[in-house]
Amino acid sequence: MTERSPVIPREAVDRSFAKRGPKQYTLWIDLEHCIGCNACTMACKAENNTPVGVDYNRVIEIEEGDFRDAQKTPNVGVTFVSMPCMHCGRPACQAACPVGAITKRKEDGIVLINKDKCIGCRYCSWACPYGAPQFNAEARVMEKCTLCVHRVEKGQLPACVNTCPAKVRFFGELNELTVLMREKRARSVNIAVSGADTRPSVQYTQ
Amino acid sequence: MDERVETRTAPVQVVSELCSRFRCTKSQCAACAAVCPVPGAVRLAEKGAEVTAACVGCGACASACPNGAIRPLEDDGQLAQRIRERVRSGEVFRIACSRARGRVDLVVPCLSRLTEALVLEPIRGGAQRVELLDPDCTTCGLKKAAPQWQRVIAFARGLCEVAGLETERVASVRVPSGKAGETRQPAETPNSRRAMFRAIAERWKEIGKATIPPDETAEAAPIRPFREVVQRHLENPKRTDLLRMLDALSGVTAVSKTFSVAGLPLAQMEVDHRCVGCNVCETLCPVGALKHRDEGDTYVLELDGAQCTGCRVCEVACYHQALHIRETVDLSLLFERRSVTLVSSTRRTCRACRESFLSEASEFCPSCLLSGGRRDAVARRFFIGGNQSDRS
Repeated sequence: MTERSPVIPREAVDRSFAKRGPKQYTLWIDLEHCIGCNACTMACKAENNTPVGVDYNRVIEIEEGDFRDAQKTPNVGVTFVSMPCMHCGRPACQAACPVGAITKRKEDGIVLINKDKCIGCRYCSWACPYGAPQFNAEARVMEKCTLCVHRVEKGQLPACVNTCPAKVRFFGELNELTVLMREKRARSVNIAVSGADTRPSVQYTQ
Repeated sequence: MDERVETRTAPVQVVSELCSRFRCTKSQCAACAAVCPVPGAVRLAEKGAEVTAACVGCGACASACPNGAIRPLEDDGQLAQRIRERVRSGEVFRIACSRARGRVDLVVPCLSRLTEALVLEPIRGGAQRVELLDPDCTTCGLKKAAPQWQRVIAFARGLCEVAGLETERVASVRVPSGKAGETRQPAETPNSRRAMFRAIAERWKEIGKATIPPDETAEAAPIRPFREVVQRHLENPKRTDLLRMLDALSGVTAVSKTFSVAGLPLAQMEVDHRCVGCNVCETLCPVGALKHRDEGDTYVLELDGAQCTGCRVCEVACYHQALHIRETVDLSLLFERRSVTLVSSTRRTCRACRESFLSEASEFCPSCLLSGGRRDAVARRFFIGGNQSDRS
């Protein structure tokens, strides 16, 4: 167990921004040090101005262990899993969309929903194994995490990354992040769902 | 100015709202591209089919497009008018392309320009028989378009059969190639070069008048987002013409007869229990053949069989694969015009998203249940027990 969060140097982010050619921007979420404060959820809501019921990022709490057996030492815990859009390499939502409203941008690998094209049929929500696309009942379109594309294009970090008080969320290019994860000897978790080969790009360590 | 030149050089116009590919990116429709004899004249772009300036104006794509999205400069109405003027009751009406030798009643750029409504038009006018003079299309530069007029003949004969007319009233006749000329009444066309050129000039003037787009209105029209555009369903002019034609065929009692759907711009379909009432088929249907209504708590989806063009957008768009197009189709549906109920099922409103869905079992729609459940499932599956090693 590492003593503190593996803070990544700003130069690594700059290297990600400076990289030319096709790349995959993504997030690295270090669950080992996540304190489950939901600041990422709130920062996302504030940044993207989402209505009630639509959250691009959700933190799932999983309680585990058992304390009822008197013979054993109580062994309970809680894990927080922050789940944004995984910006998959082969997005299931894109394949399901009947009108071609979902695109994966070549230049940065961000999966985006074109709200002018979206007819609100929710097929992407049926297809996504991570439950990322959300239905906005007011606008009658689907929405999801954009990796704060409006900020990233200006060279800023996504709102959730900027806010995270425990410093467990990192933004960068996929290859840059995996190199850093190896350097920090973080225990990586592959969240590829079998049967839905979508190649999720978001990296989790535990 | 340049734009105007561009509009004039493409002899057909595409109404993209009726194009299957424009409405549904999953559509594999390539009816126009499959018959276009000129390489590069039809482009199947993301925004539907596009016709470039390379087009020679044979009209095969217009005849092949089931939805009537492609409109030639001389539209079907004008062509039908020309047929009506020349048809003589009880006689054979001959149509030829300009390569066929002999005197005929109507010369079209290519036989593939003809639609089923145009082929049957002389019969409505009282002609004994319609003959399409085929000067051996295999030696023609436009031979890729030939299967289209053969399909049209097959469809027209099928319609004759169902309508109780002899199928022999529509036929193709092999003729030597040469140069076709139109026979006209002597009074109408005095045999002089001047009159001929004047007639041609008059026709082109008419065509020219009809095609110059009103520039001001085109610029003033605001660009509407795709999701609003697809909510509107335009009329399919080809089908309207055909239905009006069939109405006018005198003394018709339709006989039920099934044909294979291959090559026919028609379909009959079924919807199974997997339907969730998402209305995607209705929204994306280019011609508005599918309609839903809400009768209290019941969701009813209906198919107007006479409008369906068999473009298969509904089938490929349905994520749940609930909609299946039959292999055969009964042509008498074009005469009967009955709406078929595909779905009639109880509808509920989801407590989470306030959208309606088809189910009696749950208070939440399957879509809401699914995405919430999936987030949980992924978190549990991959991260549970993650901190166990640290605590032990």
